[in-house]
Amino acid sequence: MKPESPLLASLALVAGIVFLSPVLYSIWISFQTANAYYAGEVGFTLDNYGRAVGQYNFARYLVNSLIVSGLVTLLGITFATMAAYAFARYSFRGSNFLFGATVATLMIPSHISLIPNYLSLAKVGLLDTYAGLILPAISNGFAAFFLRQYIRGIPRSLDEAAYMDGATPLRVLWRIIVPLSRPAIASMALYIFMTEWNSYIWPLVAVGDQDLYTLQIGLARLYRINPGEGLVDWPLVMAASTITILPVLLGFLLVERHLVRGITMGAVK
Amino acid sequence: MAMLRKLTPYLFVAPLMIFITVFTYIPILASLNLSFREWNFLSPDMPFVGLRNYEQLLSSRELWNSLWVTTLFAILSVPLRLGLALVIANYLIRESVHSRLLRGALFLPSVTSTVSIAVVFSWVFSTDYGMVNAILGMLGLGKVQWLQDPHLALWVLIFVNTWKQLGYDIVIYIAGLQAIPQELYDAASIDGCRRLHVFRRVTLPLVMPATYFLLVISVIEAFQVFTIVNVMTRGGPAGATDMLVNLLYEIGFVLFDIGRGSALAVMLFVLLVALAILKSRIIGRKVHYEA
Repeated sequence: MKPESPLLASLALVAGIVFLSPVLYSIWISFQTANAYYAGEVGFTLDNYGRAVGQYNFARYLVNSLIVSGLVTLLGITFATMAAYAFARYSFRGSNFLFGATVATLMIPSHISLIPNYLSLAKVGLLDTYAGLILPAISNGFAAFFLRQYIRGIPRSLDEAAYMDGATPLRVLWRIIVPLSRPAIASMALYIFMTEWNSYIWPLVAVGDQDLYTLQIGLARLYRINPGEGLVDWPLVMAASTITILPVLLGFLLVERHLVRGITMGAVK
Repeated sequence: MAMLRKLTPYLFVAPLMIFITVFTYIPILASLNLSFREWNFLSPDMPFVGLRNYEQLLSSRELWNSLWVTTLFAILSVPLRLGLALVIANYLIRESVHSRLLRGALFLPSVTSTVSIAVVFSWVFSTDYGMVNAILGMLGLGKVQWLQDPHLALWVLIFVNTWKQLGYDIVIYIAGLQAIPQELYDAASIDGCRRLHVFRRVTLPLVMPATYFLLVISVIEAFQVFTIVNVMTRGGPAGATDMLVNLLYEIGFVLFDIGRGSALAVMLFVLLVALAILKSRIIGRKVHYEA
């Protein structure tokens, strides 16, 4: 990096703050008392967070979101890595067809499966369960495709040496492929987690039971409690919104580079 | 043992394949089947009605309104996104602390919860307490009913969507710009080209692959916008923001008209797959693959 003028740097800082000002200001509002907010004064309080977490159940929604996104990520990345390994290292009857079917899912809009998935999960009694939220989100064709490309770049001689020593395929996957693909696996896991964390339409239709709301559904419902009538309790809503944004925001700040690299690799290659 | 060795790859791909089949491929066929039937989720049987659901949809005002609104959204928002992104990327391409800072800030919304963004901007554009009207008030201007005015609501959604997606577009453009060899710029500057001229003659043609890529995915995205509509406007006022997936949600999960909802899903599917195929054609031709 080149040294630069402090003026440019501070201009960039200002531009960034202006761009993000709606979100920054919403966080500010979340710390204001309702009275102060509507009177246009300043009155600091943590009460909105207390109410959101307690009375309005956002602690529960946070846990639900963590459970659902966590399990989707764990299962999704596991299945994608296994399949990617097979597609990268084995030539087997039907492999082209199956790989094609995996890649084709990238082109398939998810809305086509909304009604049928709803109906089939209703039939087996899985609506309004964690399983109902998780199962349709597990398969991730993009992650499988991406990891297969990555694994193909790992020298085969490493696998072969391990096989000479009597390793099983599963052991080769676990001891050689997975450790060497760690950056790719990490960025895909992150990508799956964020997608699932922010997913909206499927939880919206699959869950009616308040105890199973994810943060996204809880927040949308909280905001929509009195659609169009009366005053929205903005400080409360903004506290809930901040709770919804924060985990992913913190994760993002920790791993920004990984994520950006993953996204551009997926897009331009 | 030999048998097991032959089975190995199948065992590795099986879990993914099972989930893809059950939750992606079978539902496509199921949607097609349901689109020829009449069913409200409760009645005991679902009679075959041929193409009636499609006919009803195609003769309904809602569908054409939705198609129009969605197309308008795409036509207005895509050039806006790409134009802004290219200009900003061109400025942020240099590796320095301030450009990294700004890139981070611009990219943040694209990984943030869409529901939160929709809620925050519902406040920003709310009539009585919103940020925009407060700023207008300071300038001595009157209040505007941003989300209640049929002529403005779609623009608000376009603004919010652009704000959210811009950072992603910029990241893609920066990757595209960094692939342009520096020699070309050096040559242009030796020839004494002005900056605007360099931009038009060197930058623009050479980021064409990234532009094509972004063009098609942002059009596909525009046809799938749902969350901001559902949270901010519910398709209103008077259908002014009733985009296609919102209509699908209303028909399928509010009215529980499974047949008509499925017919709409099938039509949307055909449209989007056609766009996706167009994309892979274009990208296959225009982009150099390295992997």
